[in-house]
Amino acid sequence: MMQYLIVLLDDAAASYCHYSVNKPIRPIELDTLRRAIRYAMMENLMIQFVYPEKQIQEDLRVEIETIDHHKLMPVSYSDYNQADVLLYKSIKEWLHDDKEKSESICVVCTDKYSMFAQSEEISKALNTQKRLNFIMTDIDTFTDDDFTQYKSVLEQWSNTINLSFKKGKILQFNLLTDRLFLSKMNNCQAGVSNITLAPNGHFYVCPAFYYEDETNDIGNLSSGVTMNNAQLFKLDYSPLCRHCDAYQCCRCVWLNKRTTLEVNIPSHEQCVVAHLERNASRKLLNSIRISSTFIPEQQIKEIEYLDPFEILGENQTFK
Amino acid sequence: MKPLLDNKTISLIVTKDCQLRCKYCYFIGKNSQEKMSFDIAKSAIDYIIDNESLFPEKRVFWEFIGGEPMLEVKLIDSICDYITEQTYIKGHKWFCSNHFTIATNGINYGTKDVQKFISKHNHNLSIAITIDGTRIKHDMNRIYKNGRGSYDTILKNIPLWLSQFPDVGTKVTISSQDIPYIKDSVLHIFSLGIKTVHINCVFENVWVNGDAELFQEQLIQLADSMIDNELYEDYYCSFWDERFIGKPIDWRKDPSNWCGSGNMLSVDASGNFYPCNRFTQFSLRDKNARIIGNVNDGINLNYLRPFLCLDKFTQSNQECLNCEVASGCAWCQGENFDVADTPTIYQRSTAICEMHKARVRANNYYWNKLYRKLELEGKREEFEKNKKDFNIGTTC
Repeated sequence: MMQYLIVLLDDAAASYCHYSVNKPIRPIELDTLRRAIRYAMMENLMIQFVYPEKQIQEDLRVEIETIDHHKLMPVSYSDYNQADVLLYKSIKEWLHDDKEKSESICVVCTDKYSMFAQSEEISKALNTQKRLNFIMTDIDTFTDDDFTQYKSVLEQWSNTINLSFKKGKILQFNLLTDRLFLSKMNNCQAGVSNITLAPNGHFYVCPAFYYEDETNDIGNLSSGVTMNNAQLFKLDYSPLCRHCDAYQCCRCVWLNKRTTLEVNIPSHEQCVVAHLERNASRKLLNSIRISSTFIPEQQIKEIEYLDPFEILGENQTFK
Repeated sequence: MKPLLDNKTISLIVTKDCQLRCKYCYFIGKNSQEKMSFDIAKSAIDYIIDNESLFPEKRVFWEFIGGEPMLEVKLIDSICDYITEQTYIKGHKWFCSNHFTIATNGINYGTKDVQKFISKHNHNLSIAITIDGTRIKHDMNRIYKNGRGSYDTILKNIPLWLSQFPDVGTKVTISSQDIPYIKDSVLHIFSLGIKTVHINCVFENVWVNGDAELFQEQLIQLADSMIDNELYEDYYCSFWDERFIGKPIDWRKDPSNWCGSGNMLSVDASGNFYPCNRFTQFSLRDKNARIIGNVNDGINLNYLRPFLCLDKFTQSNQECLNCEVASGCAWCQGENFDVADTPTIYQRSTAICEMHKARVRANNYYWNKLYRKLELEGKREEFEKNKKDFNIGTTC
């Protein structure tokens, strides 16, 4: 069921996920914004506005306040303190940001090598955050060596989180703690529970589809949403994911399309990265339980594979 | 990689040229320029042999296709030699199972070059000549560039072919306009001495109102002829299948895909790899080619994953999943892809639905009539004991 409408307030709205923004500044027109808000009200959708770095015009700012919404703002935005989610374009930017953000939800986009290189600093900074989401922008380039390194940094961060738990502070770090609390898939859901409206007045599965190819639209504010093969975005229609218990995986349908040419089939790299996180969460859960009773009903079982494709034959029957 | 099948089929598209311009042919970009070079063939074979872990199947069928592959019989001969040599030198598991297959239009079957090739490789070679049936039906579709029918040319080569490959059948393809000739065509093929006929409707959406009824009637007439003339003991027509046609399928327990694309590998003259021939650009009308690698970079396993993940549920609509006569209803992944609303292999075309249902009804009629006859004659038990275990056979 569709629940959210993501509205890009500018062609140069900050990225909050795997994609890069490759368009120059072009604000959404006031009339388009009005129609988007009207559409969201009629369809019962919660809007998430994505801001650019440059201050938006006053008339847009006023219009935005006519509907209940969330704000996703780059940390460099002048009114960043109004943000529901703060967006950082690199780990460096996040680490060196001296603003008070302990109560904010922070999304940090990073490439793998920056993350590996700064793992120590990240470990120290984890404690300063209420909720932290790391988004790797180059999952599709992971090699076997990268997987090994990723496993190692996850263990390092896991130790920090475990120590924090012992002191009574529950950290939220998407790569390690989300899986502790999940009992079913909690993925991005682009095309299923959320769609994106670009400044051109057209709908897209998510911003990544817009920035990749503007002609990839799934309708517009006049015609409404017209998605062919919409079922393929749903979990049940992914033969690998529907049996998977790496519940924290973002299951990025845009990455799927880019790497396997199908929105419903994840790449080997996306699966292994998600399973390294899942397995690290399992170890973290076991470590926490040594010293305390912690979500006793939660079970993350031991598995011998990192890519569900390896057990496809056994797992293909529909549960 | 774990094999899904025991056999690997590797197709080398040696030429895009053909003497014929068959009206139903799905290869829509025939030309005389795109021929595979021996160097490309060598590179493909080297990659395949050197990456044994990607090809765990016990046996292999090296298939040479076109266009008309026999136009390049000297190249095919060199490739067969190279495969045999390299699998021997490298101690590859396929050395003892290398098998070469060719489906030809039969036009140059009797030429010196083709006959020399056959005598050299006949120990591990199968050749099928495709003949569509009676002169009328065959010449309706299988025509030369100038519009002349090819029946007479091909017929001349049938006796020689049967003397060399008596157990290999032929394959017949049906489109809308040749439905009225089905019965006569199958019986005609039997009369030529060809004992196995693999026959199927094209997957393209060519069907018009009334085709299913006409198709059913033709099949009923064929059933009557085969039973009345007791052809069922020695001849096989793939329309008739007692076990696998027209039953409901529990897709929860049997999720497997029908089509073998992805388990096959196809290589074109440029050295590109495809999940099957049907994903090459010259087989597609409305979509871009689906290339999954090339001889230099190898197979992109991420591009192959969607093919190996295909199951019934994910690509079928509810009507198909709930269908009471679903078993044996075939589909072609390439055709599905070509007509899908988005560039996906996960949307099953249902163009063939009514034709399948008509076939199911005729198939039911065939077996009910045959068994009743045999029971009345006291021969059913003997028939069941001796009946040959034909498989469903190829559908594309």
